[in-house]
Amino acid sequence: MAFRKFGQNDIVLNTMRTFPAAEFVIYDSQVYYNNVPHSKGAFSDNILGITSSARGAISLYEYNVDRAGTSSPQPSGSGFAITTGDNPPITPFISKDSARASFSTAGKVSYNNEFQYGDILTGHYPLTASISRELMLAPGSRRDSINIRTYPNEGSVGPGSGSAVYPHFYALKNRLNHYQYLSMHYAVKPRSGAWNKNTQPLNVLYIPSIFYGTEIKPGTVSLKWYFTGSLIGELKDTKENGELIQTQGTGSGHNDKVAGVVMYNEGIILLTGSWALENQKLGLTVGSDVDYPQWKYFGAGALDGVSVTTAYPTFVSASFSIAFQGTTEIQTQTLFTKAGRGQVNYSNNPTFLSFNQDPMEKSGSQIYEENPLRKIKNTVSSSFATFNAPFKRQVYVSRIGIYDKNQNLIGLATLADPVLKEDGQDYTFKLKLDI
Amino acid sequence: MPVSYEPLNVNTDVTTTKTILHEVIPLTGSIVSGTYSDQNIKNFVHGMFQSVYDYPYLSSSANHIFDLTAGYDESSVLSSSANVQNSKKINLYNQFSQVLLGYTGSNNVVRLFENDLTLDSTGSIKNAMIISFSRLLTKDQIKKGSFSLQLGVGSYDLPHNETVTLQDVSASTTGDGTTSTIGGDYGVLYATDGVATGSIDYATSNGPAYGVVFYQAGIAILSSSVFDQSASAGFGQFNSGSFAGDSSGSTGDHPAIGCSESLSSTSISGTCDALRHRITNLTFNNSTEINSTIYFCRLPVNKFNYSSNPTYTSGSKLVVKNNASDLPVSYATTIGLYNARNELLAVAKLSEPLKKTPENELTVRVRLDY
Repeated sequence: MAFRKFGQNDIVLNTMRTFPAAEFVIYDSQVYYNNVPHSKGAFSDNILGITSSARGAISLYEYNVDRAGTSSPQPSGSGFAITTGDNPPITPFISKDSARASFSTAGKVSYNNEFQYGDILTGHYPLTASISRELMLAPGSRRDSINIRTYPNEGSVGPGSGSAVYPHFYALKNRLNHYQYLSMHYAVKPRSGAWNKNTQPLNVLYIPSIFYGTEIKPGTVSLKWYFTGSLIGELKDTKENGELIQTQGTGSGHNDKVAGVVMYNEGIILLTGSWALENQKLGLTVGSDVDYPQWKYFGAGALDGVSVTTAYPTFVSASFSIAFQGTTEIQTQTLFTKAGRGQVNYSNNPTFLSFNQDPMEKSGSQIYEENPLRKIKNTVSSSFATFNAPFKRQVYVSRIGIYDKNQNLIGLATLADPVLKEDGQDYTFKLKLDI
Repeated sequence: MPVSYEPLNVNTDVTTTKTILHEVIPLTGSIVSGTYSDQNIKNFVHGMFQSVYDYPYLSSSANHIFDLTAGYDESSVLSSSANVQNSKKINLYNQFSQVLLGYTGSNNVVRLFENDLTLDSTGSIKNAMIISFSRLLTKDQIKKGSFSLQLGVGSYDLPHNETVTLQDVSASTTGDGTTSTIGGDYGVLYATDGVATGSIDYATSNGPAYGVVFYQAGIAILSSSVFDQSASAGFGQFNSGSFAGDSSGSTGDHPAIGCSESLSSTSISGTCDALRHRITNLTFNNSTEINSTIYFCRLPVNKFNYSSNPTYTSGSKLVVKNNASDLPVSYATTIGLYNARNELLAVAKLSEPLKKTPENELTVRVRLDY
């Protein structure tokens, strides 16, 4: 078998960028991802095993479909599993060893203190990711600090100087200010003093990166607010700078206003818009309070504790849609393999030669000589019955092997159909490898 | 861009380790046969095997869990050109035995599966039912000593009234109780509980062997003789339907045919259906090797006490210092791994910032799994 070396221009490395679309619909404290219904199975309420209340989630690996019951390894980790139920779930486990590998179910302190070397740590499937929402009424507020030696007798000693009520806000402040080069609307507190995110209610929606990849594609974000099924407002990042601008709504006087910003790289949407989108009040927060539909309440019910039982019953009149495109990058190696004229014109396949020929000319204790007169089978197709087309040298290429410099086979490309290559033809096969 | 780099010494700062992750894989008879009314069973036009899914296979959520087939060697007494799918049954047996056991003797004949570890051409399993598990379930390999299959060997109507449990009790992760072949290691499936020939005290004996399990290939070979150990399943009640040569002497629609008769007179999928009907419980543990490189990133006493974060300074002063005489302090949140040309290759994030001052040294253990 002959090898051909790749030339300088025969290997090209490209990046393929894709923009997968994602859409979440939030209604009645249930989240639907890409319009997929929540399927009930024979054993579980949700066949994907997503037990969080909202359920609009990705189940990594989609393991444990429609399972219920328990399964666990023997305490020693060896021997046969212990199961209960009609369709028990797959359960991962690991033995504590010096590599210190663990599951997130065993925290750092628990792992160090509660498990000895050789102990079994069990995990849980499925691993899921969901969008969630956090309504920060006063984002920069802090709890009162206390003296733990005198508490509770002396109560708080430092009003408003303790730990953050919304630590996520403090984690985001630097990034928000950093993105001011895109838009002033990111600023926590602009110099003009037009607003102060430390004190204004902030509606934060968190989108895990598994839904969008490396970043949310600018210009693709669309947030829609529906009241009893009718669209009452839509936000879009039309300027592709992160500003979420109202493009349509029942109160058209607020169109073109900025209601919030998107952090594209972090997958976080922050909304502050507080104008009424509808003149009818709804229960949109935990408790019996009602308020006009506003962007700061957008997404109520997305894993935030707001439901028809915790909020005022008119909560079910609101529904929401979040749509965007993600960005994923796939590195692709393209290899051009050339079968030139006069090359790749022989096959080691035994059927390449005519049948019933003696492969050997002579053989003995000193010599082995192949038969030099063996004929290649004529595979040229004839257009006429009872007429054999004249012989031409040709092969059918069915596979291409990729070898390393030590001639180890490291990859194999199989063609969908064998390609006829006549001796005088040049062929270039384009191989693509996603890496 | 880091302020300074700390070179890693490959002899003292870098090491490799291996962790084995396992999963308990339970497969109950209720999903293999029954719950989904066989909507999770896919039969093919070629009829050589059937695929079992964990949910109706038309659902995008369904996972393929294993394939079932049955066959016999041409030297089996069951082999006959008059049989249904005779050549396919022989070919399937040969295919699995070639791939898993290879050839033997001067004539390079295909080995036969055996109920032991010796591969000495005795105790051959000539009539086999084969379960080929999905790679999704077996991962790198089935964990040795964890395979357990409970089969119902009662009548066709009440198959689970009598059961036999097959387990690879003699196999161990150290390799004891297994034999290595070209298809990987295999262990023997012994009856450890339930119905068996004669009166066996399972407390002191494993009972006879009725198959083997190939750990890396994820394939279990069951001898048809496992169903011959009960008066019900073996002698006429393995499969549904009637058969002229039924050894029970029964005719009509019921009470059906024995295992050997099913292997010879019914299609492969028919025998697979009957086997699924008799799987009570199947469990095993799988194993996945996780290789890791561990980098010990050392923060010496006199380094990494400063930050290039813009918020570290305010008005040309370090915000973490109250007085000019205070020691500098930094909080490490991220560790970057760079190549020899100072190109960032990987980033490790700490779960919480670590305080670094000129009075302490830190060693952060960065583990890279692949």
